[in-house]
Amino acid sequence: MMQFPTRRAVLGAASAVTLLALTACGNVAAGSTSSANYPSGPVSLTVGQAPGGSTDLIARAISEGSAKTLGAPVPVVNKPGANGSLATKEVAGKPADGQNLLLINASLITITPLAVAKDEAVNIDDFDVIAGLSQDDYVLVASQGSGFKSIKDLTGAGRNITFGTTGVGTGSQLAQKVLFKQANVQGTDVPFDSGKPALTAVLGNQVEVTTIQLGEAMPQIQAGKIAPLLVFSEQRNSFLPDVPTAKESGFDVPVAQYRAVAAPKGTPKEVKDKLLAAFQETFKSDAYKEFNKKNMLTPKEISGEEVVTQWKDYAAKYKSLVEKYSISLSGTK
Amino acid sequence: MDFLNPVLNGFVVVLEPMNLLYCLIGVVIGMLIGVLPGLGPAATIAILLPLTYNVEPVTAIIMLAGIFYGAQYGGTITSVLLRLPGEASSVVTVFDGYQMAKQGKAGTALGLASIGSFIGGTASIVGLTFLAPIVASFALDFGPAEYSALALLGILLVATISNGAKTKALIAAAFGLLLATVGRDIFTGESRFTFGSLELADGIDFVPIAMGIFGLGEILYNLEERHRAAKAPSTVTNVWPSRKDLSQASGAIGRGSVLGFFLGILPGGGATIASMASYAMEKKRAKQPERFGKGAPEGVAGPETANNAAATSSFIPLLTLGIPANATMALMFGALLIQGVTPGPQLVEQDPGLFWGVVNSMYIGNILLLIMSLPLVGVFVKILRVRAAILAPVTALITLLGAYTINNSMFDVTLVVVFGIVGYLMKKFGFEPGPLVLAFVLGSLLESSLRRSLLVFGGDPTGFFSRPISATLLAVFVLVAVLPGLRSLLAKRRAATADPATTKIKETV
Repeated sequence: MMQFPTRRAVLGAASAVTLLALTACGNVAAGSTSSANYPSGPVSLTVGQAPGGSTDLIARAISEGSAKTLGAPVPVVNKPGANGSLATKEVAGKPADGQNLLLINASLITITPLAVAKDEAVNIDDFDVIAGLSQDDYVLVASQGSGFKSIKDLTGAGRNITFGTTGVGTGSQLAQKVLFKQANVQGTDVPFDSGKPALTAVLGNQVEVTTIQLGEAMPQIQAGKIAPLLVFSEQRNSFLPDVPTAKESGFDVPVAQYRAVAAPKGTPKEVKDKLLAAFQETFKSDAYKEFNKKNMLTPKEISGEEVVTQWKDYAAKYKSLVEKYSISLSGTK
Repeated sequence: MDFLNPVLNGFVVVLEPMNLLYCLIGVVIGMLIGVLPGLGPAATIAILLPLTYNVEPVTAIIMLAGIFYGAQYGGTITSVLLRLPGEASSVVTVFDGYQMAKQGKAGTALGLASIGSFIGGTASIVGLTFLAPIVASFALDFGPAEYSALALLGILLVATISNGAKTKALIAAAFGLLLATVGRDIFTGESRFTFGSLELADGIDFVPIAMGIFGLGEILYNLEERHRAAKAPSTVTNVWPSRKDLSQASGAIGRGSVLGFFLGILPGGGATIASMASYAMEKKRAKQPERFGKGAPEGVAGPETANNAAATSSFIPLLTLGIPANATMALMFGALLIQGVTPGPQLVEQDPGLFWGVVNSMYIGNILLLIMSLPLVGVFVKILRVRAAILAPVTALITLLGAYTINNSMFDVTLVVVFGIVGYLMKKFGFEPGPLVLAFVLGSLLESSLRRSLLVFGGDPTGFFSRPISATLLAVFVLVAVLPGLRSLLAKRRAATADPATTKIKETV
């Protein structure tokens, strides 16, 4: 019977060793200044979301692809909390040696600051963005009970419409609030914890419409259980070519989720170049392309500088939209 | 026969070697901790939660479920042989089980208990198999309103049914509700009780609370108790009960299966209550109730059947509604969430492999337990000789390491320590930790569902009564809340009307 405590102890000890190894590498690397022998150990990729979600899956796809080129393992470290602010603040405080990377969501920079207290907001200038990854589109879908087949049905309904969002300070909430204001339609904002429960609520006719990410909505769209009304991207989505964009329908509210990999500010240029090369190698691989396709992600493999400019532009745009229509993302007004 | 297809596919999932292995590991660990007094299934699952993190969801839940129902078997062994109930749910087994052992019928008692457990467990799985698709067919009708009603009913039942002092249960539940309010308000983004800490922005995670209260708290509490040295077990022979014993016990096994099944489904119910209710029922029904306490086979067979039936059936509300019926199920809920699976009415549809894999693993697990429990009795009794001085530090270390690995967060480790102390103090002062944890889980569900439904209803609370499912649930809620008061009122009135009658009789006499 003594086997059991020992078995558990072994497992425990094994995880302890792994942890020690991880932290130790971070510290050792902090001391070395030569970037020529980068990477000097595992390169951790921190994700501010729980395992299993789309952000986490992207991180794992990137980690798998780039580990080969970098010649070092790239473990994905999930550190969920406060929409990802927790992970972001932690990585920002790590040494700028390229051993600690962050997979960052655009909404954290562009939308979340509109909903939370100032000191909780995250600043992109604390990071060197290495590369943009992909674009994850939001689609507005309607329940069968609502009877909406196109955006015209919604705007012409002439009544109060309940819309589910994926939470406060998310793209789903911003996109719908602005859309309803621009269309001059009365709506009630019903926040859910994430995309899945919001989708379930539309399927069960608990709310009439919701805006969720395409990958989540697609199976139900194909099954004819929900009707796609529009996508919030600037161009039509290649996976849903018949559905108009918000812009085509006359609404000025371009919202999508973008993701990028970033390192703490001040990371040496050679390190950044090595990382970029590793990511670009990943982008070219068939496995990664297939991954994007399967998850309905549109590649947006732009440079770090472009990411920063674009995200700042979106942040400014959303801020002005919210002020123009006097929308508050927190509260029910 | 369409609905049988996913059920059969579930067997394919279970029969994968990896899943079979974890099922075996689960039931063996379950039996082990069932034998050890103090360390219960809730504590064990809390401690082992992080280890399941890197395993497939089905595999993880199969193992954890095995621990739970395996413990029901293990607890019996020490009750019968040593008069030392390994589990709360085997306490009543001591009365007649130990007496039987003293009469040299230890083998019969254990055999009856194993057969009863097997039948009770299997009956519950069959019930689960047929009930789940029915509940799932209503899946999409479960909206915020229905969840509010369900959570409300759950909290009421937890507070009223749980064993132990009512007031203390209510206090613990209130504390749980308070903890559930910590974190960013998901409707307004406002921070509540976070004290500016980003770590608390998403609220307190369920897992560190459970690991602290059930894991560390139990370990600390058990350190206080001296381990009684276990005597060598009396030799166990004649495991197969005689035809006479079997016929005597068969009624008890049948009744225990049904009773356990229903008490397990009830929020706040579970294995312990089921075993006690079954013992009481058997004693009441018996023609010679004086045999109880002196080695009546029904006194072993009934409760042992009922506790296993209840352990299995308590998976029904969790897997079909996403409502944990007792503390162990709350942990199972946490385990599913860690795996990215949200239990609820959609689970059967969306993840049939997981659902039926877990359900069907219980058939296999019960068969494994039936085969193993009797030959291994001697081995399990030796476990009692492991000194707490070795076991406690090892388990505590694993708990803390595990807490770190879930979110790679030292903050979680601190939480586990804090809640470990809370759990220890609660036990010491006679507070059951169950209501706290359940109220914590149901509290956040209640709050968000209630606010969500009021948004959908445009602020009109009568909306709850316009939907059939939520109206029914609320009617049940009122019934449960009012019934005890009504009953005592009736009893008083009866006493009042009885009084004049007796005086009349006296007069005529």
